[in-house]
Amino acid sequence: MRPSFFHHLHPPTIPAAQAQWRYTLGAGGIAVMLVLVLLVTGALEMFFYIPTPDQAGPSIQTIAFLVPFGGLVRNLHYWAAQALIVVAAVHLLRVVFTAAYVPPRRFNYLLGLALLVLSLLLDFTGYALRWDEGVRWALVAGTNLLKTVPWMGGGLYALAVGGPEPGGATLIRFYAWHVFGLVLPLVILSAWHLFRVRRDGGIAVPPPTARATAERISRNELVRREALAALIAGVALLALALWRAAPLAPPITIGSVGIAEARAPWFLLWVQQLLRWGDPFWAGVFVPLALTVGLALIPYLLPGPPRSQLGRWFPPGGRLAQIITGAIALLMIGLTVLALYP
Amino acid sequence: MSALLVAAWNESRKPRPVVLVPTLSGRPEYCLTCHADVPQISAAHPTGTFGCVSCHGGQPLALDADLAHSTMRGGRNPSDFSVVEASCGGANCHSGSAAEGRDHIQRALTSVQTTYAGAIATVRYAFGAQSGPGAQQGIYAIEDPHSATGLTALTAFDPAHDANPSVQTFAANCLNCHLSAQPLPGAQYARFTGCAACHAPTAGTGVQLNAPTLHQLTTAISYAQCNTCHNRGNYSMRDLQFHPRTDAPADRLRDYYQPIAQFTRCEYTLDCVDCHTRTEAMGDGDIHGNKKEIQYIRCKTCHGTPTELPLTKALTDPNDIAFRLALLNPVVDLKIGDTILVTEKGEPLWNIRALPGGAYELFGKASGQRFTFRPVMGSRCTQNPEDQSSASCHQCHSVQR
Repeated sequence: MRPSFFHHLHPPTIPAAQAQWRYTLGAGGIAVMLVLVLLVTGALEMFFYIPTPDQAGPSIQTIAFLVPFGGLVRNLHYWAAQALIVVAAVHLLRVVFTAAYVPPRRFNYLLGLALLVLSLLLDFTGYALRWDEGVRWALVAGTNLLKTVPWMGGGLYALAVGGPEPGGATLIRFYAWHVFGLVLPLVILSAWHLFRVRRDGGIAVPPPTARATAERISRNELVRREALAALIAGVALLALALWRAAPLAPPITIGSVGIAEARAPWFLLWVQQLLRWGDPFWAGVFVPLALTVGLALIPYLLPGPPRSQLGRWFPPGGRLAQIITGAIALLMIGLTVLALYP
Repeated sequence: MSALLVAAWNESRKPRPVVLVPTLSGRPEYCLTCHADVPQISAAHPTGTFGCVSCHGGQPLALDADLAHSTMRGGRNPSDFSVVEASCGGANCHSGSAAEGRDHIQRALTSVQTTYAGAIATVRYAFGAQSGPGAQQGIYAIEDPHSATGLTALTAFDPAHDANPSVQTFAANCLNCHLSAQPLPGAQYARFTGCAACHAPTAGTGVQLNAPTLHQLTTAISYAQCNTCHNRGNYSMRDLQFHPRTDAPADRLRDYYQPIAQFTRCEYTLDCVDCHTRTEAMGDGDIHGNKKEIQYIRCKTCHGTPTELPLTKALTDPNDIAFRLALLNPVVDLKIGDTILVTEKGEPLWNIRALPGGAYELFGKASGQRFTFRPVMGSRCTQNPEDQSSASCHQCHSVQR
């Protein structure tokens, strides 16, 4: 059978041991699927969403309640976005815990990390596009953090907010970032990331002599497994979207001062918890940036395991990276739990 | 395919949105999707004109109950005085000019029924919490530098800062009847707050205050509605408690429970609003210290004296407020050329019309019933024209109870 375009994106064969769920967790593939869901549902939402302060809330309510299947599309977009953060984080942990970042995959590791950062920014900008009382605190607090950056804080704030306080200029900027400024790099980097997976020799595997078995699976089998993963993930996503609607609150009104919900979106709760303890710049800007840079430097600064240890979980040669990354993950989870249950 | 079927099934479970585009706002509202059973509130507030949101607030596009109701003003009652300006106000609605008779909100907010200034002053003075009997405090702090009564401001009555324990007891037990107070439990007290306390007929309907069908505003206010506050019992100065009445009168004559009170036939046959005017009930826009200052209708307002006929006014202007009031409550077909009674302050008694031959006809505002009566002048009445208190008239005209 001549391979289709989709089959052609895959290598003809890959080692069976590394094509297993328990090795890859399917996280990268599911992330790609979620991005595709987000692109489609987001494009549909663009037909109805109006990025002005007085129309943003009502237009989202129109999508959620009045447009046929609009609520479902919005819920799918919301849940896919939340899931993407989780799946991308799991993918990152998988890569670190299997030492898949060692050369020649160092650069692709950076691309992946950039994609995670882009996903977080997309999630935050999308969250702010609700422009309702539920997001006002996070919008104000999040943008105010920019002011704390030494030397360039005022400029960064002006760049992001477009005025002395969040308003119409902020909303249109967040919208432009969300549907274009961040999506375009996400798509380009995603394509590059996938290209580099192939270019770097496919999934990280030990050299042929170090493999327990020479068994390989065909691209047909690989595509079949990917389709199965997409199907399961799709059903789960649909179930989530039908079970729980994406949150909505009354639109922000001029002059409203009460804070309906002084809580960051869940993926930034760990930062909010840090902010309760520390200086806004150090807790809200420096620490998250330092952690990102630290993660980015892992393949460059820490000794990686020899290639013979690749293709399995927790290779001893990558212990330090595993401990550091695991500690960061646990720290974030712990801070999030603390923020949820103070 | 299954997923699509599930999605389609889920979509089919949702109610079909019912849109209303009120002419006043021009913005679509979907409240009727769930609230199709709510009747139009009044002929003066047609649903097609006002919709729901201009009065109630809320999220007009939301079909999720929590979100849709999240920004409603005053919960079920947008006329509560805490939100009345946003709900009922506006130059063309109920906070317009006094000259056009559209200053209902300003008047109601300064009315003694709202400020409770007289009761508060009486109790505070009686128990030594203030040096004079004049009104100083109200339920809310209000100011009116141009108040014709000379009383230009009331500070907020704050029992927590009133060291006098009797005043605190009064505050705890006796603040049930001003227009911002929640009513006491019991069907006999059932009323809303704010404008709806009087204008939403709750008395005698037997329906719960939270029933969606209780969606009505009227100027045809029956005496029973007044009785949700008035005529329900006594506030005792001795123990600073409210003592509800315990009798169950079978007719109007015996319904007024004060044993010393005397009544003429019109007082127990008509409804309160048939004689008492808008200004008396809702205030005149000035701050008053007690009820006596604002209540001025007497027997002679309608009946005149042995030497004077009641005051009248011939209707020549189609924009006369009398026509507007009669339009709101069409119990009488007023026409240009009709002569109606007016009070000494010039308020139209638009439901009382002079008949050829010297008699008058009164149409009950709540009952629609037609009564005729004659003036005192020309009768056998020998009452001193200068002494026209109701007590004087009751000497001859009260009915034995």
